[in-house]
Amino acid sequence: MTTPLLSVRDLIVEFQTGEGIVRAVNNVSFDIPHGKTIGIVGESGSGKSVTSLAVMGLLQKPAAVVPQGEILFNGLDLLKCNETKMRELRGNQVSMIFQEPMTSLNPVFKVGEQIAEALRIHKNLSSKEAWEKAVHLMNQVGIPNPAVSAHKFPHEMSGGQKQRVMIAMAISCEPKLLIADEPTTALDVTIQKQVLELLHKLQQEYRMSMMFITHDLGVIGDIADDVVVMYRSNVVEKNNAKHIFTTANHPYTKGLLACRPKLGANPRRLLTVSDFMTEEGKEKVVPVERVQIFDKETVPDKNDHVLLEVSNLVTQFPIKGGFFGGTVDHFKAVNDVSFKIKKGKTLGLVGESGCGKTTLGRSILRLVEPSAGKIIYDGKDITHVKHEELRLLRKKMQIIFQDPYSSLNPRMTIADILIEPLNIHNEGGTKAQRYDMAKALIEKVGLKANQMNRYPHEFSGGQRQRICIARALMLRPEFVICDESVSALDVSIQAQVLNLLLDLQEEFGLTYVFISHDLSVVNFIADEVGVMYAGKIIEMDKASSIYKNAKEEYTRTLLSAIPKGETKQPLASLV
Amino acid sequence: MKTNSLWKDAFIRLAKDKLALFSLVIVLVYFFIAILSSLGLIAADWSQEVGASNLAPSMEHFFGTDIFGRSVFLKVIRGTQVAMSVGVAASIIAIPIGVLLGALAGYFGGWIDDFVTWLYTTFSSVPNIMLLISITLILGKGIFAVYIALGATSWVTLCRLIRGEVMKHKEREYVQAAGAIGGGHFRKLFRHILPNVSHIIIINTSMQFQIAIKSEVILSYLGLGVQGEPSWGTMIDDAKLELVRGVWWQLAGATVAMFFILLAFNILSDALRDALDPKLKGK
Repeated sequence: MTTPLLSVRDLIVEFQTGEGIVRAVNNVSFDIPHGKTIGIVGESGSGKSVTSLAVMGLLQKPAAVVPQGEILFNGLDLLKCNETKMRELRGNQVSMIFQEPMTSLNPVFKVGEQIAEALRIHKNLSSKEAWEKAVHLMNQVGIPNPAVSAHKFPHEMSGGQKQRVMIAMAISCEPKLLIADEPTTALDVTIQKQVLELLHKLQQEYRMSMMFITHDLGVIGDIADDVVVMYRSNVVEKNNAKHIFTTANHPYTKGLLACRPKLGANPRRLLTVSDFMTEEGKEKVVPVERVQIFDKETVPDKNDHVLLEVSNLVTQFPIKGGFFGGTVDHFKAVNDVSFKIKKGKTLGLVGESGCGKTTLGRSILRLVEPSAGKIIYDGKDITHVKHEELRLLRKKMQIIFQDPYSSLNPRMTIADILIEPLNIHNEGGTKAQRYDMAKALIEKVGLKANQMNRYPHEFSGGQRQRICIARALMLRPEFVICDESVSALDVSIQAQVLNLLLDLQEEFGLTYVFISHDLSVVNFIADEVGVMYAGKIIEMDKASSIYKNAKEEYTRTLLSAIPKGETKQPLASLV
Repeated sequence: MKTNSLWKDAFIRLAKDKLALFSLVIVLVYFFIAILSSLGLIAADWSQEVGASNLAPSMEHFFGTDIFGRSVFLKVIRGTQVAMSVGVAASIIAIPIGVLLGALAGYFGGWIDDFVTWLYTTFSSVPNIMLLISITLILGKGIFAVYIALGATSWVTLCRLIRGEVMKHKEREYVQAAGAIGGGHFRKLFRHILPNVSHIIIINTSMQFQIAIKSEVILSYLGLGVQGEPSWGTMIDDAKLELVRGVWWQLAGATVAMFFILLAFNILSDALRDALDPKLKGK
């Protein structure tokens, strides 16, 4: 057996914080052979990114300490290298792609220049040669018309294109090792698929080794040779990818595999990691009824009452231009959309970023003013209601936003955040009674009442999203819009939140509009699915049938983009 | 695990910075002196003759005496009172104007924004010192005119900062969420956005304070500031003629007093920004 390209041995990384020493990586060992791809999987905070930063020599000193372990790169211990040596390696032999393409490019330089820069530093090319090479690389990563695109600035490109530029930069010096830290998490599923295929192709072409970090085991199914699963700073399982996907050993791995909703057949509630293991990490037996496939069609339609009807809705924004900045044209974000939702049901809206689904959601709530069309809620036209009536409407219609980090006011405690809606509408009796209501609800969404006097920054993303859900439900609404409410969450957390939403729907008889770019999520939670493209709903069908017989080409593209790295075996065999 | 608000976190960060704490102590000492002096508890009899004319500093007269035989030390204390009162008065005038106009402009946009932007660009297009001079000339010389003049010019920076920050925050989802639960403009602006930009008021006030002190010194030096009272500016003006005769202590007294408060405010402003501005957190 040949020596691997990268070998991490018994690595421990600790952080000195105000509250003492936190061990972020505990005794982690793995190898990356030449020309192979290793997937490192785990949820946020599991230590996977810290491991990659340690390999790059980018740990924040002096806060981070490495008391033990070695990282051998071609026999050279990277932990013992000085900064000069590391700088020589970084970008040249080892390079990295980051999660957020929006912020990893310098906005004031042309993308061509940014790619050429690395070539000039490491390969000593002249400016002209570097530029030509940059154009060639852009061609290779599939950017259309590279000679022209190289002159563009980052803001002139889409998210997917920016990520391609990042990849071009990373491979420009033909590194031996490419570290990809969640490179597709910020992208739409369709773009994600393209980027994954591109990475795989380049890895083969350049015979690179790749370290692919992700929270979503499904993503790497097609491209990883080996998989390392990390949980709470430890490696809990490592094996070749095929083995992991068919016969996972560790309960955490099984949980990760099961928690991503599948197209079509799903149990009534998604399986979560906690179904497979206890808090202490002991394996649990999953009850058989938990994995039974549930068919929404079998539930009889008790209710025929149409709660919301939208007809020919148009929402447009002015496009400013000309010398005096006047309105030159209108951009129709929502263009002639009509649909109905029955009480207690869920309508899923799916589409890529920019298709108008978020604007549609906000127009229904009148957070954005629609330009034409009608919104009829519970038999009443609410398209133009004003002031007091609109305020009363807010009690019945609520929204849960995408980003749990920016949707909570950082200067208010959780209790204040939850009680505020009651204060606005002067409901819920005395102060103490309002507090009790908030307490009851916070427990309902799975948090503890004694956490209510804390501030949002002390909670994780999943917990914050639960707080947002609780806030939306404080006024006992009938209708809730979930705008990409699980997109920012790890898959394992996503499953828990989806289950929570379903539980709450059952208990309070809620009607949802569920907006997402991920068809598998929508397919799981919704009764009916509308596919949006360029401001229009191009296809609408029952959730259970849309994935089987999609009529539109676009819907089929969306379907095929969903990561296929699911278990090849039926769910029941996991148990 | 204990729970902290962002304010408390910021204070803990500030308390770790020893230099900043020391600066804070200096600032507080100056305030203390200014308050005692304004209550007439110290330096009330600064105009009394305490010795011969132009005595050099000694144990008896720390900073020596001036041409009329008055204690320079007491004049410096009196000057401290004037300087600090100008800083406080300018802030009291500038903060409400700057915050209110900035918040309204940033939040509502449209013609309100146009108007406020026009107002502060007009103010800032005139060189500050010219504006100060013209205001004091209109209102007549004296400390009151200095208050008004400084208050009227120092709201501009704050207003501009608040406006930009409010514009940024009003698009945040927590503000939209406040709208979605039925909160009106007033609640969104004053209950949600303002607490999240209020750190800017503190940082900016700390920076404006020292600018106000400096401006008062300049105005008084030019003879447009306080009348019939000692101020650091008038002391430096006096020293102009005395220096040729080797009488340096009047200049030294005023300069040293000014030096420490300005340095302290500078260090404190930097530390406040590091402690309060979440963008720089962890750096």
